[in-house]
Amino acid sequence: MKIVKAGIATVIVAAAIPLLMYTPAPSQTPGSAMPRMADGKPDINGIWQAFNEANWDIEAHSAGPSPVLVDGAIGATPPGMGIVEGGTIPYKDSALAQKKENYKNRISLDPEVKCYMPGVPRATYMPQPFQILQTTKDIMIAYQYAGAVRQIPLTNPGPAPSDSWMGTSVGRWEGNTLVVDVTDQNDRTWFDRAGNYHSDALHVVERYTPMDAGHILYEATIEDPNVFTRPWKISMPLYRRVEKNARLMEFKCVEFVEELMYGNLRKQTAR
Amino acid sequence: MITRLVLLLSVLLVTLTIAIGQSSWTPPHTADGQPDLQGTWTSATLTPFERPAEFKDKAFLTKEEAADWAAKHARSDAPPAEGDPGTYNAIWFDSGTSVVKTMRTSLVIDPPDGKVPLTREAEARRNFNLAHNADSWEYMSLWDRCITRGVPGGMFPAGYNNAYQIIQTPGYVTIVAEMIHDARIIPVDGRPHAPSSVRFWNGDSVGHWEGNTLVVDTTNFNGKGWAATSASAGRVRGVPQSVDAHVVERFTREDANIITYRVTIEDPIYFAKPWTVSLPMTSDPTYRIFEYACHEGNQAVPNVLSAGRVHDRDAASK
Repeated sequence: MKIVKAGIATVIVAAAIPLLMYTPAPSQTPGSAMPRMADGKPDINGIWQAFNEANWDIEAHSAGPSPVLVDGAIGATPPGMGIVEGGTIPYKDSALAQKKENYKNRISLDPEVKCYMPGVPRATYMPQPFQILQTTKDIMIAYQYAGAVRQIPLTNPGPAPSDSWMGTSVGRWEGNTLVVDVTDQNDRTWFDRAGNYHSDALHVVERYTPMDAGHILYEATIEDPNVFTRPWKISMPLYRRVEKNARLMEFKCVEFVEELMYGNLRKQTAR
Repeated sequence: MITRLVLLLSVLLVTLTIAIGQSSWTPPHTADGQPDLQGTWTSATLTPFERPAEFKDKAFLTKEEAADWAAKHARSDAPPAEGDPGTYNAIWFDSGTSVVKTMRTSLVIDPPDGKVPLTREAEARRNFNLAHNADSWEYMSLWDRCITRGVPGGMFPAGYNNAYQIIQTPGYVTIVAEMIHDARIIPVDGRPHAPSSVRFWNGDSVGHWEGNTLVVDTTNFNGKGWAATSASAGRVRGVPQSVDAHVVERFTREDANIITYRVTIEDPIYFAKPWTVSLPMTSDPTYRIFEYACHEGNQAVPNVLSAGRVHDRDAASK
């Protein structure tokens, strides 16, 4: 890639003749407009991250102690205003009881503890970056956490062969908004560390709308008639990682959970 | 003298063939001018990794030998031997139905004998890993542990789910392997390797274009990986990969349907000299890559370990 420092002039030229040529390294400066692809769609290629406390609890919450004593303040829950529109998740009564049970047992039940793939939307607000890889035909999102990957074809490849952890995604552009329909997720992922959960009837519709070159408004509508009384919405900004050396690193966390998951089965050699 | 002349002639011939090969087909380019490698590719093949003893100094198969080999080695169901719990049946496997088009007797093309130049250290460490497989995950294949198949191990045929999707975006070539959902995001913007204090299971890959070939240079390995994880890699499976490993991969689009993948591996502790593998990646636009949730459903590790502990108890009670 040629590094081109695209100033305002370049952006104007690119906007005036969007189909003439591809602009390989558009300005990624927050404040300027989101660059565009050759086909005129917003170019959201880049490394992004949510900066909020939703992974601890998507609802508004106070600070809390670590569930593991020895972790002290390192493992404490940072307080957050939440990402749920209207403030509260509309649980059915029985489902709310289950959520509370999940919370009590979160140290053994949260799939994040075992390095399982996070599902959607949790993948978006894990406290680690992800990279959007976009062409005019395909979009892929690679998440640093657990190396999870989502393929988001812009033409529907047909029904999913089975449920999966990250679900089956199909994308489409509505004006400047990338709309991703996510179906066929299994019932093993959670929304956060607080035990907020869903069933395999989960249907998520994500909306990625550029705010400027450095920010995307992320919204998701969540529907699951087994668990919730009505559809509900979350939203948050996503921030572009603008550091010169920003990159997706490797967080292959399987290695960090093997002792926890299999330690009792390891050969105990005499020492 | 004659040997030298023959060698020179064959070098000339190869060069000529390459030159002709390159001029006969012009690859498509992406909007920003890179040779276009995008699509879904599979690497299933019946060609063995190393040259089997039966082929001795034969580098290429005849048509008849190739057909014969394919017929003998195509996967088919057979009941496991008594006492053997067996493994997946043929429906799970995708080992291809033919040998590579070049008719080579092995995927290893250098050294010319088709054998990976393992050091004694490599063999000793491999033997230890394989013998202690049931003691702890630390000696198991990283593939069985669902961490990664490594670089370049992840590019060697797996036996099943051998599919890769390549996507090119400004500044990057990304290769997503279906097996263990590994996404290699390779910068091609001229950046240097990560600082040597930063180490990765898959190393740190940086790429650049040489004509129509994508060249990917990988260093910064964490020293915990294996050179190869698949059974098809034979003697190489279980050989560790050191922190000093250096891997250079070359992806060349030969025509609409084939990318030739060529990789040279240097790791002086484990290999007496660098060695090279070449294999074709074949376009398969009908292949739909699906989520391979490996760790999430991993029963192999707990099952192998608990069987190992049962074995220990039996041995102790005797």
